[in-house]
Amino acid sequence: MTTFDQARPLRQSMSWLHTWSGLTLGWLLFAVYVTGTLSYFRNEITFWMQPELHRAQVVAPERIAYDRALALLAREAPDAQQWTITLPGARNPTLGLSWQSPPAENRQPGAARERPANREGARGEEGARENRGRDRGAATRERPGADGEGARRENRERVQAATRERPSADGEESAIDDVEPLEATRQAEANPPQRQAGPQRQQQGGGGHRGPRLVLDPASGETLEGRATAGGNFLYRFHFELYGMDRIWGRWIVGIATMFMFVALVSGVIVHRRIFKDFFTFRPGKGKRSWLDGHNASSVLSLPFHLIITFSGLVLFGHMMMPTAFQSAYQGNFLAYREAMRARMPQSETPRPSGERAPLTDLAALVAAAQQTWGGKPVGSIAITLPGDRNAVVELRQMGFPSLTNGRNVPALRFNGVTGERLATPALPEPGAVQAIGSALNLLHRGFFATPVPRWLLFLSGVGGSLMIASGLLVWSVARARKTSGAARAPWGHRLVEVLNIASIAGLMVAIAVHFWANRLIPADWPARADWEIRAFFIAWAVTFVHAIARRPKAAWVEQLACAGGLSALLPLINAATGGLALPGSIGRGLGLLAGFDLCALAIGAGLLFAAYKVRRHAPPARFAASGDPATEPGAPLREAAEEAA
Amino acid sequence: MKTQGWLVSNPTVRHRIDVGLRTGLAAFGGYGLALLGAAALAAGLPFDFKPDAVSLAVMLGFLLHLTAVLWAFAAATLLRAALGLAVPAAFFGLWLLSLHYR
Repeated sequence: MTTFDQARPLRQSMSWLHTWSGLTLGWLLFAVYVTGTLSYFRNEITFWMQPELHRAQVVAPERIAYDRALALLAREAPDAQQWTITLPGARNPTLGLSWQSPPAENRQPGAARERPANREGARGEEGARENRGRDRGAATRERPGADGEGARRENRERVQAATRERPSADGEESAIDDVEPLEATRQAEANPPQRQAGPQRQQQGGGGHRGPRLVLDPASGETLEGRATAGGNFLYRFHFELYGMDRIWGRWIVGIATMFMFVALVSGVIVHRRIFKDFFTFRPGKGKRSWLDGHNASSVLSLPFHLIITFSGLVLFGHMMMPTAFQSAYQGNFLAYREAMRARMPQSETPRPSGERAPLTDLAALVAAAQQTWGGKPVGSIAITLPGDRNAVVELRQMGFPSLTNGRNVPALRFNGVTGERLATPALPEPGAVQAIGSALNLLHRGFFATPVPRWLLFLSGVGGSLMIASGLLVWSVARARKTSGAARAPWGHRLVEVLNIASIAGLMVAIAVHFWANRLIPADWPARADWEIRAFFIAWAVTFVHAIARRPKAAWVEQLACAGGLSALLPLINAATGGLALPGSIGRGLGLLAGFDLCALAIGAGLLFAAYKVRRHAPPARFAASGDPATEPGAPLREAAEEAA
Repeated sequence: MKTQGWLVSNPTVRHRIDVGLRTGLAAFGGYGLALLGAAALAAGLPFDFKPDAVSLAVMLGFLLHLTAVLWAFAAATLLRAALGLAVPAAFFGLWLLSLHYR
């Protein structure tokens, strides 16, 4: 065994590791980073992609048309166990309505704990999520297709299509469920329930998958019918389970890529002795050295972000990638683990139906009272259990996740639904150290914050990370182009990397822009239009691969960057031209989320056009003048490794 | 052993085999160590609230894998690389066994 030993200095072996762990799955990692970064604003993206909702008016919480919302709920779901009203906020100006059917009779009591309104995650879809957890607990006992639950669950599990999905206003939907183990889901999928002819509402505006089933203008109470769209959820799903394959495969591929990323990051840090100095070093116009400087700067600038996002990404996949922890502690019974987690959450009394009707108390007064209790913090959602009954209970939940370390608990207040009297609210348990760490990792990865500033910082760090990966991939190529420029023909491996670089960096930008264009160009009533938005993304991406093969590298870079830049920069115009609220209007009416999308598209488009211009103007110098001691240059070990490997 | 002589004398082939073995150690050995470590830690960490032990075991499992990968490539010889994985694996294995027969 020792015959094959090749002892090398530590930095040399680490730089080899850095190069190859980064390159092997670098293109996939770039796509994951870019789509993941966009996912910080997936609610805003989804809202942009439903121009029908843009005319929603921005109103103060006390002026919301609660009466109209309640009248609609009473008409649509008179027998519901729970109604949920999602209030408008900075991330979504509309009012969302959803409801939950009474528990089915065939469900065994105790299949899962009954709780009036779960406090485990987000606003808006709590009903759906509660239901979902219960479905899973009861999945094996339940007759398939026994009730309306079936169609809804099936709809929920059809995540890849994700067509009707419309996230709650804060985006913290299903903080835990999204990436939770698939076993229980599989049980449900194994007994596919009959599709119900189903209420038409489920086809529109949200419905089905966790989102509200009805979307209203909060001021007038008028129903808004958003087009079917995958929305920001397509990019979000893609970033952790890819597309067009079994979800478990997609997750494994992304999980393994994440492990590569982790190794590349830490070995990169070990390679860089002079990490602080490199951060202030940028020498433009020097070919590979400039790319290395750029790679170093973008890496070091947000290194804590990269480490946290990578590690938390792995931990989010923990149940899948480290199953032995659950097996040894719970003998493989994952539901027991969940139950133990759940048992720690505060339990409220479940109201029992009295059978007597009574009118609901004034919601606006409750919202005002809650806001006062919380020192002005806005209310995120209102859950009304047993609506219309004398024993109705109203629970108000705060918007956003106020605590980083206690993320699963959102402050909530409970009121008697008829008298408006305050009910006892179970205290939020203090998390232990491990739970606090887990919660912080989770919330940081997902950007669940009540205020926009941290989300913007995460977004910018994500942009920096995307640049880090892109520049790292280019360093590999540029280093070799320099060495082989004298040769008649580059080795096929170099050509492969070059094509992959072009199509997976510039081409991905084209594909994302085309995805947004498709959203506006496919008619709103087109059948399966949401699927076509996704197909447009992949068709455009495939075309960029063909283009990258067919064209000379420089021309391919310029054309694809220019194409992506042009398409992005024109997004505000196509938004205005196809029924969306134009930029002056969105700024004027204070719809920051819409103006933010348009302005970001402009900025990204301008950046890509500038990059195209720079590449076009670029004339590679015949030979780089070496200056100073090559061994002390930043990235010297990288190059050594690259040259050695080549 | 003519073949072996060729393998040892040809530096390119020798390097490739070295790298291939280290990669295998890092990927499979490292992951195996992580799975074993996560199992032992989840069952053995003394937390009152069992899910805490599980969460921490998962986190430490990924860190174990990372460390194992770095070690597999950093160790001066292949033997040391392998021993560096085998010793902690034996430790976690014994811990798990002791928990089982307690």
